[in-house]
Amino acid sequence: MNTKENVLEVKHLTKIYGTYKAVDDISFVVPKGSAIGLLGPNGAGKTTTIQVLLGVTLSNGGSISYFGMNFEKHRQACLQMINFASSFNSLQGRITVWENLIVYAGLYEIQNPDKRIKELAETFEVADLFSMRYWDISAGQKTRVNLVKAFINDPELILFDEPTASLDPDISDKLLSLIERLKKERNLSLLYTSHDMDEVARVCDDVIFLDHGKIVAHDTPLGLTKRIEHSRLTIVFEGSKQAVSDILSKHDLTFTFPKDYSVNIKLGESLIPKIIFNLSKEGIWITDITIHKPTLEDVFLSIARGSNDFSLTH
Amino acid sequence: MISHSRIRALLLQEWHLSKRSLEIIVDTAFFSVIDILVLGYVSMFLLGTSNGLAARYLIFGAIWWEVIRVTQYSMTMNSLWNIWARNLSNMFIAPLSLREYFIAICVSATMKSAVIAFGVLVPLAAWVFHFQLFSIGFAAVALTFINLILFSWAIGILLLGLIFRFGVRVQAIAWAFIFIFQPLTAVFYPVSVLPPMLQHIALAIPLTHIFEAGRYVLQYGQMPLERYLMATIFNIALFVFSLCVFRYLLRRAKDTGQFVRNES
Repeated sequence: MNTKENVLEVKHLTKIYGTYKAVDDISFVVPKGSAIGLLGPNGAGKTTTIQVLLGVTLSNGGSISYFGMNFEKHRQACLQMINFASSFNSLQGRITVWENLIVYAGLYEIQNPDKRIKELAETFEVADLFSMRYWDISAGQKTRVNLVKAFINDPELILFDEPTASLDPDISDKLLSLIERLKKERNLSLLYTSHDMDEVARVCDDVIFLDHGKIVAHDTPLGLTKRIEHSRLTIVFEGSKQAVSDILSKHDLTFTFPKDYSVNIKLGESLIPKIIFNLSKEGIWITDITIHKPTLEDVFLSIARGSNDFSLTH
Repeated sequence: MISHSRIRALLLQEWHLSKRSLEIIVDTAFFSVIDILVLGYVSMFLLGTSNGLAARYLIFGAIWWEVIRVTQYSMTMNSLWNIWARNLSNMFIAPLSLREYFIAICVSATMKSAVIAFGVLVPLAAWVFHFQLFSIGFAAVALTFINLILFSWAIGILLLGLIFRFGVRVQAIAWAFIFIFQPLTAVFYPVSVLPPMLQHIALAIPLTHIFEAGRYVLQYGQMPLERYLMATIFNIALFVFSLCVFRYLLRRAKDTGQFVRNES
């Protein structure tokens, strides 16, 4: 892809702490208007990657370009066009929400800051918090105020580090809807980390899985779930548990009996009709069938637990 | 390119922070007033014992010491308030340059110390203790103030670098370290009072020359320009040195990840 079409290009980025490689030679791009999810277990290198991308931690190698500009050489120009939101960062607690936002409007050289802040405050429902000290508002309210800060400079790219971690489902949904809307209307680009897989699947066009500082998978959410080779089938039955066990063993399947009348089976989707047919043929009365297709969460768990279910290649 | 908007924003933050924090008001204005009152009464006592010069040295040193303390304290504490609030990295994620940041914290610290010194302490010393600081002349006051500010900026920047590099576990240096210079640089007494070995050390610090020069003006009514010039050159060199050390320490802090860990 042409450099001009990428809002962020990361090449061979490496961050080493002593002998520990927190980020190990990763490369990826965020095309304009795309949302890229950065996922991985704790310690995978997501936060370090974000910190390096924001310039608050230095890398040991590789390069970062925003909008075709080298980040090291054009730090201020790059930072003017991006922003960051995290439920873990705070604003200055001793001063009011309004005072904080006015300070950030000044830091980003916003013209007509009052109007801009009021517009965003409407969107994130924080207008009634303006006169309150930042440290007096709830965690969810703080996250919403942080989001006003994140949008204050009308950024082209926003780096989100678990932005909905302390939001209630309603505000969380509003944020995701806003992100979807801005992405569509303004071609907003996102780099997004979250532990909520549904959220990632909803917002992100592509997902990068990190593990031990390396990219272990990079695909669309659907593409990633397709790499899980097994579905999970739950059958509720009337009949002999032993008979069911014998039939499934003949097919070399992995299964467990959570109850005497139900069985969980791990198997390829193509085998499902055959198994149901064989059970019925042996006189097992099937009263309920549930097929659990792999989700992004299964991908996450497979990678985090090093399961063989997940194929690293297509 | 320096942005006035960003500098104004930082000054505005400092203003809001100062007016809403009792600690800042106590640590700057309150302690300054108490120090002047205590040392002012000690100097009045000395005046009564016919040691008039020592009395004037004392109150002279006390006023100027507060300029140093308040300036350095304000510079370092500004960043600490933001580290404690976990807001500092947010600020540096904005397109804020180090130059703009330093200009803002230097200006705000200087404004605070100027207001406290010339708006509170100098009138207080004149009213309660009949000590006229401006009796040494406007030029001497200006040269002393500029040099003390320059010295405090240098120390403030150095301490800030150490806090960024080693984290809040060394935060006590923000309000304690400056006091090392109080006995060493002969703030209240002539440098000749110090043991010979300490005199050598004292004379290597620009602050000593400023206080010596000030006392000379107090005693003889003449400005030792050479001494002021030497102190100014020393101070500029110290300021440049501090900036270089700060740059190195900040780079190390960002390299080791300490810069963001300070807020965790």
